[in-house]
Amino acid sequence: MSGGTVVANEQSLQDELNPFLAMAKRFDIASDQLGLDHGVREVLRRPDRELSVAIPILMDDATTRVFTGYRVQHNFSRGPCKGGIRFAPDVSLDEVRALAAWMTWKCSVVGIPFGGAKGGVICDPRELSQGELERITRRYTAGIMDILGPDRDVPAPDMNTNEQTMAWIMDTYSMHVRKTTTAVVTGKPISLGGSRGRAEATGRGVMISTRDAMRKLGLNPAEARVVVQGSGNVGGIAAMLLHREGYRIISISDMYGTVLNEKGLDMPAVMAWLREHRRLEGYPDADHMPNGEQLELPCEILIPAATENQITSRNVDKIKAKLVVEGANGPTTAEASRALDDGGVMVVPDILANAGGVTVSYFEWVQDRMGYFWTEDVVNSRLEQIMATSFEDVYQMSQKRKVSMRIAAYMLAIDRVATVYRLRGVFA
Amino acid sequence: MPSTPVLDEESPFATMMSQFDRAARHLGVNADEYAILRKPDREIRVAVPVRMDDGSLSVFDGYRVQHNQGLGPFIGPLCASPDLKLDELRALAAWTTWKCALMNIPFGGAAGGIVVDTQKLSESELERTVRRYAANMLGTIGPDRDVFTPEVVADMQANQMMAWMMDTVSVHVRYAETATVTGKPMGLGGTIGHEDAVAQGLKVILQLALSRFDICGEKPSIIIQGVGRVGGNLARILYDDGYIVRGISDVHGALFCETGLNIPKVLAWRAEHGSLREYPGDGKGSPNDIIRNEEMLTRPCDILAPCAVPNAITSRNASKINAKLILEGAHGPVSARADTELSERGVYVIPDILANAGSAVADYFEWVQNRQGMSWLEVVFAKRLRRFMTEAFDSVIELQDEHDVSLRMAANMLAVDRVVRADSLRGIYA
Repeated sequence: MSGGTVVANEQSLQDELNPFLAMAKRFDIASDQLGLDHGVREVLRRPDRELSVAIPILMDDATTRVFTGYRVQHNFSRGPCKGGIRFAPDVSLDEVRALAAWMTWKCSVVGIPFGGAKGGVICDPRELSQGELERITRRYTAGIMDILGPDRDVPAPDMNTNEQTMAWIMDTYSMHVRKTTTAVVTGKPISLGGSRGRAEATGRGVMISTRDAMRKLGLNPAEARVVVQGSGNVGGIAAMLLHREGYRIISISDMYGTVLNEKGLDMPAVMAWLREHRRLEGYPDADHMPNGEQLELPCEILIPAATENQITSRNVDKIKAKLVVEGANGPTTAEASRALDDGGVMVVPDILANAGGVTVSYFEWVQDRMGYFWTEDVVNSRLEQIMATSFEDVYQMSQKRKVSMRIAAYMLAIDRVATVYRLRGVFA
Repeated sequence: MPSTPVLDEESPFATMMSQFDRAARHLGVNADEYAILRKPDREIRVAVPVRMDDGSLSVFDGYRVQHNQGLGPFIGPLCASPDLKLDELRALAAWTTWKCALMNIPFGGAAGGIVVDTQKLSESELERTVRRYAANMLGTIGPDRDVFTPEVVADMQANQMMAWMMDTVSVHVRYAETATVTGKPMGLGGTIGHEDAVAQGLKVILQLALSRFDICGEKPSIIIQGVGRVGGNLARILYDDGYIVRGISDVHGALFCETGLNIPKVLAWRAEHGSLREYPGDGKGSPNDIIRNEEMLTRPCDILAPCAVPNAITSRNASKINAKLILEGAHGPVSARADTELSERGVYVIPDILANAGSAVADYFEWVQNRQGMSWLEVVFAKRLRRFMTEAFDSVIELQDEHDVSLRMAANMLAVDRVVRADSLRGIYA
C-alpha cells in the first residue's frame, strides 16, 4: 500500500473561500473527534499517486501544441479509484489533489467500494474543435493507460467533459487492451454500457436526503416551503422529484435570475419552460427577482445546488431555513457552517447529499462488469437503498458523538478508510 | 445463434446486406458512417492440422469472420461443414451484428467455421480438430473479445464442441474461462432455459403482436410448420396456454384438426416413433387429417408459424395463405416477393430477426451468468427473456409508427441505427 510518486511541488491555493481548505479543516476536526493517530492521518492527507503527462496534439491548422494532463489517485485502500476528468484552462495540480481526496470521502460515506481520484487537462474547450478534443482525450487516455482500468482507476465526466468524452476513453482503452472494456469509465452513453437513471441520479439523491432529513426533524412535507438554487441536473431534478413527493417548491433559480411563487411552483411546467427557452426568464406563473437574495427567502428547506461558496459569513445570518441540503459541492464555507450549527439548522453535507451521482456511476461499473443492465426501476430502488442507509449511518453518528451531520459524515468516511488501511497494513 | 437465410448462392453477404443497405438509406444515415459496416472488421484463416486415428495427417481450413465491434465483444457460431464458404460466414457474422443490436444485447457479430465433414470424423478426431482450431484462435477468443456459440441450439454434438473450446481456452489461460463460449452443457456453465428459449421468445412476441394488432379473440388458432426444438416447443407452450393448435408438420407430412390437436399426445408419439407418420389420433374420435405439408400452410387459422425451413412461403403459395399473422420461427421462411404480397393483403409478418431471437438472448444470459459466477433461477431467466423481447418489440413498433414501414424494415432500421450510433460515438481509433 501507499507507494506513489509526487511529481510537482506543493503550492497550496491560499484563499479564504477555498473550498478545499474548508475540506481540510473538516478533515482535521473529524480526525480529532476520531482520535486518529498521526501516521494514519499523514497517509490520508497525501495522495497515493500523482501522474502528470504531456499531451502533444496536432492541431487542425497543422501546428503542434503540447497540453498538460494530470491524474491524481488519492487513496485506493477501499477499491479502485473513482473520479472525474475535467477540461479547463484553470486546472491545477493542487485543485485536482483536493478533488481527489473529496472523492475518497464521498465514496466512503455511501459505502461504495472505491477510493478517490481526479484528473484534468489544462485546455480551453471553447477554443478547440471536436477533432482536437477527441485527439486530446485519446492521447491523455494513452498517457495514463498504465494506471487506468476497471480494477485500477475508473474515470467519469466532470467539468467540460461528457458522454462523448467517456466514449472516446472507452474506445481508446479497449483498442489498446484488445478487448471491449466498458467498465473502465462511467458516464458513458447507454448504448456503450451506460446506466439508466444516471442523468437524474444526483438530483434523486438530494430528494432522498431531504425526505429523510424531514423525517428526522419531524416536519410535514406538505407544510414545507422549499427554495432551490440552480435548475440543472441537480437542482432541477431534485425540485421536480420533491414536487412529486408533495413538497411546495416556492423558488428556483438559474444563472440569470430567480422565480418565486409563494403558493408553490408548478414544477413540470417550469421544467418544460426551461427545456424550451433554456432560461427561467419570462416564465409566466411566478414573480421574478435577481439572484442575490434568493437564499434569504423565508422557507423551511434550502437546497443550494449550483456552485460553491454560496452561504458565507456575509449572508449566513439571514438564512431562515431549518434544513439545508447541499446539492452542490462546497456551497457552505466553514465559517458559515459553524454559524448554521450554532443556530440549530440541520445541514445535510455535500459528500452525503450529492453522492447519488457517484453511486449510480458505481452501478454502471457493476452492470458493465456483469454485462447485464438493470431497468430504471431497479437502478432507482438500489440508489434509494444506499442513500437511505448512508443517511441513517451519518445521522446515528451525529447523535452518538453530538456533532453536526457534516462532521459525522467525515468521521464515518475517514473511519472506514482508516479501518481498511489498518487491516491491509503497509505493503512492502 | 442464428443462421442467415442464404438468398443467393453466389454472394450471400451482399444479398443479406442489401436489405440493411435499404434500411440505412431509409434512415438517412451518413454514407461514411455506414461504409465501415459494409466490410467485416477482421477475417482470420488458420490451418488446422489433425492427426487422424489411422496415423495419417489431415489439414482443414478454419475461419473466423468478425463483422463489427462497436457495441461490444464479438459473438457468433462455430459451424462445421464440408461446403462452408467464407462469404456465408461474412453474411452470418453481419446478420448477428444486426440481431444483437436489435435485441439490445452488448455484442457485435461474428461467425466461424471449420471446413470438415464431421460425419466422417471419429469423436476423438473431431475433438482434436476443435481443440486445434481453438488453440489457433487463442489471441482472438475471450469473454471480452469474441464469444463462440454452437451452430445448432441444444444439439449434443454442438454442445460437446463448445465444452472442448471452453476447456482448451481455460487450460491455456490457466483459469476456468466459462464465459468464452455459450451453449455449454449444464454443469459446465450452461444456462437453464436455453433449449426452448426460441419458442419462449416466439410466445412473448406473439402475445405482444396479438394485443397490439388486436386480431384474435379468446382462443387463437395456430398452424405450426416444424415439430423440432422450435416448432415442437412452441406447440407445447401455446397448447398449455389455451391456444388451438390446428396443424403441425414434419418433413414427412402434416396433421390437421379444425378443433385443435392434442399436442402432448402428438409430441409423445413423435418422441417415440421419430416422425409424425401414422399418428393414430388422440383416441377421442376427433378427426386428425394427415395432409401434405404444403397444403397445411394454406388452411385457415389466425396465426401461421413457419418454424422449419427457409422459403416455405414464396410467391407460389402466398396468395393462398389463410392466416392473419405470420410468425417467422425459422430463418427466412417468407421470400421477399411473398413478403410484399402478404403485406399488401394486410397480413402481419413478424420478422425472424425479432421473432426467433430468443436463442441469441439466451446466449447473452449464459455469458452474463458466467461473468457473475451465479446461475439464475428459471423464473428469473423467463422474466428477463420477456423483458428483452418486449423492449425490442416496443422499439420496433415505435419506429414503424414513426416511419410508416413494414415491421421487417422497422426492425432492420432499428438495428442499423443502434450500430451506427455506437460506432460514431466511439469514433475512429488511430
